[in-house]
Amino acid sequence: MDGLTPLLQILVSGISVGGAYGLIALALAIIYKTSEVLNFAQGDMAMVTAFFAFSLLVPLGLPFWAALPAALGFAMLVGAAAEFLFLRRAKEPNVLGLIIITLGLQMIIFGFASWKWGADPKDMPFFIGPFDVFVLGGLIVSHLEMLTLAVALAVAGGLALFFRFSKLGVAMKATQQNRQVARIMGIRTRRVLLFAWVLAAAIGALAGLLIAPTGTVDPYMMWDPMLKGFAGAVLGGMTSLPGALLGGLIVGVVENLFGFYVSTEFKSVVPFAIIILILGVRPSGLLARHYVKKV
Amino acid sequence: MKFLKSLAVAAAAVVALGAGRADAGNVPGVTDTEIHIGQWGPQTGPAAPWGAVARGTEVLFQMINDAGGIHGRKIVYHSFDDQYNPARTKAGVKELVEGGPGIFAFVGGVGSATGMAVKDYLNERGIVWVGPAAGSLQWITPPQKNLFAVYPLYVEEAKVLVDYLVTQEKKSKIAILYANDEYGKNGLQGAKGQLARHGLEPVIEVGVGRADRDLKSHVLKLKQSGADTVIMWVNPTHAVITLKTAAAMKFAPQWVSSSTLSDAPLMTAISGGLWKNVIFTSFSELPSSQSPLMLDYRKAFDKYAKKGERWGVFFLAGIAFAEPLVEGLKRAGRDLTHDSLIAALESLKDFQGIMGRIGYGPGERQGQKEVFVAKTDETGLKVIQLSDWMRPN
Repeated sequence: MDGLTPLLQILVSGISVGGAYGLIALALAIIYKTSEVLNFAQGDMAMVTAFFAFSLLVPLGLPFWAALPAALGFAMLVGAAAEFLFLRRAKEPNVLGLIIITLGLQMIIFGFASWKWGADPKDMPFFIGPFDVFVLGGLIVSHLEMLTLAVALAVAGGLALFFRFSKLGVAMKATQQNRQVARIMGIRTRRVLLFAWVLAAAIGALAGLLIAPTGTVDPYMMWDPMLKGFAGAVLGGMTSLPGALLGGLIVGVVENLFGFYVSTEFKSVVPFAIIILILGVRPSGLLARHYVKKV
Repeated sequence: MKFLKSLAVAAAAVVALGAGRADAGNVPGVTDTEIHIGQWGPQTGPAAPWGAVARGTEVLFQMINDAGGIHGRKIVYHSFDDQYNPARTKAGVKELVEGGPGIFAFVGGVGSATGMAVKDYLNERGIVWVGPAAGSLQWITPPQKNLFAVYPLYVEEAKVLVDYLVTQEKKSKIAILYANDEYGKNGLQGAKGQLARHGLEPVIEVGVGRADRDLKSHVLKLKQSGADTVIMWVNPTHAVITLKTAAAMKFAPQWVSSSTLSDAPLMTAISGGLWKNVIFTSFSELPSSQSPLMLDYRKAFDKYAKKGERWGVFFLAGIAFAEPLVEGLKRAGRDLTHDSLIAALESLKDFQGIMGRIGYGPGERQGQKEVFVAKTDETGLKVIQLSDWMRPN
């Protein structure tokens, strides 16, 4: 390989894994956008969905066309349950309290998955072979990488349209900016929040299902992607959906470049350096406009 | 004044004598008919596959008890689930040691961090601990009177692999992929040192961060280095991600791994069948071995093991780590104290059960120093032994 090919290869690899981070960043941004709550359980909600999909595919032997939609349905149920059973129950909720509830939720899901499926890591079958690739010159791109990027772009595009043009989308924005006024204007803010959680859970689950075939399905599988998705969301500005996807892609590319050219051992530290840098230099992120609440 | 001093000395002597006598007649965990032995190990949680170690030991003890026990005493085995969590290990060990009849000795115990959490506690009480289930240098640096390591050191294991790869397989372009922790760095240190002895150096060293899930840049580095052989000193998940990523990048070197990844059926299952033709080290006979002792254990497994248990390397390791302890208990005789057991263990020279030869001595606490090299076949399920027991050159 000459000097250029590895660079291109690393860029392609970074963009594809960044797509998965982007999906998580989108999921985080949706919940943040509507409630200013950072959902620490996002990664493990995706993890438990991957285990659920595995259980449908392998022990039960369901075909992919049935198992994957069922898994997404399961993810939405988890999202709805999280909002309805946990967050909504908070007495005199403030943002910090709600964030801590999501932390507790993460521990519950992690504990449940460890107990239910934890004994052995699992190998996730998938409808496209993870080793099928396109070869362009010296460049190798797997079908799974292409699919991941395509899904991320499609979801981001769909969301952009949804928030711009649909009534529900606008209602979600209004709910974040001022819940009381939104309610006075006739928006059913509780339903909006429930919907945000359902939507975010489904999008996060897509990331989990796309990441699972690249390694093993195990209780720890989403820790690293979750943190990187978080870095991506912060980078993009937390409330900006295009920003979230862009942030995820940048994190994927930067950490791969860093891993290849600087150090593999410290590769996973890069996203945190990005978070600190962004919070110091441009706290509203790359694409979000800083929304200042007027008192 | 002089009188007072000698009185004090005499009093101290009497107290010491009394204490000594009480100890000889009343060793915690030993009664006329029982020896109490403990072990921790994860039975639930993410490290649960290694829980088979503690269950393997149980079958060995049942087999011994059914054959009449040791010098008229039966082994009473106390194992508990610590979920691979050092805090739980410590709490559980304390509970066993300080409650009920006490514990005479511990055996096995999965994990470096879990073991480190109780190492000092056991040392202070002089409780003998044989065969921690990890090849860590921490057990023997410095050697402790009561702690007898069995598992061969990762450093030595890596050296044997390099010897084999260089002399038998004629490999010279060897890369090392290592976990960025004590385990991985021990492997790196051993492999690098031994390559140097052969006048070689690794074509590349690639470290893996603990939480990393995306190893594309790692694999691309390995591929670009021109390596034809990659030695992996990583955990099972990272090994699987590496092999899958490499398969997608059309990179197919000779994969080589440490004994921690020697459970071929497990690795094949979780890697989607990629664990084929992998060379690795083994510290005990293979599960398929037909040696007479192994066949006896196999019979015990059929008789005592719970339904659904698998005759795999972790289960076998639980038997293997306890063999030297059982031999020590036999040699110590009916008069069983910590000191008599330690003396008996120190008398072990070239003792062999289903592991390599094991020997201790005063100040020598690393029992086994040899491993052999094996390889999975085309299916990834069958294992072929490639060498005899080897020590590094």
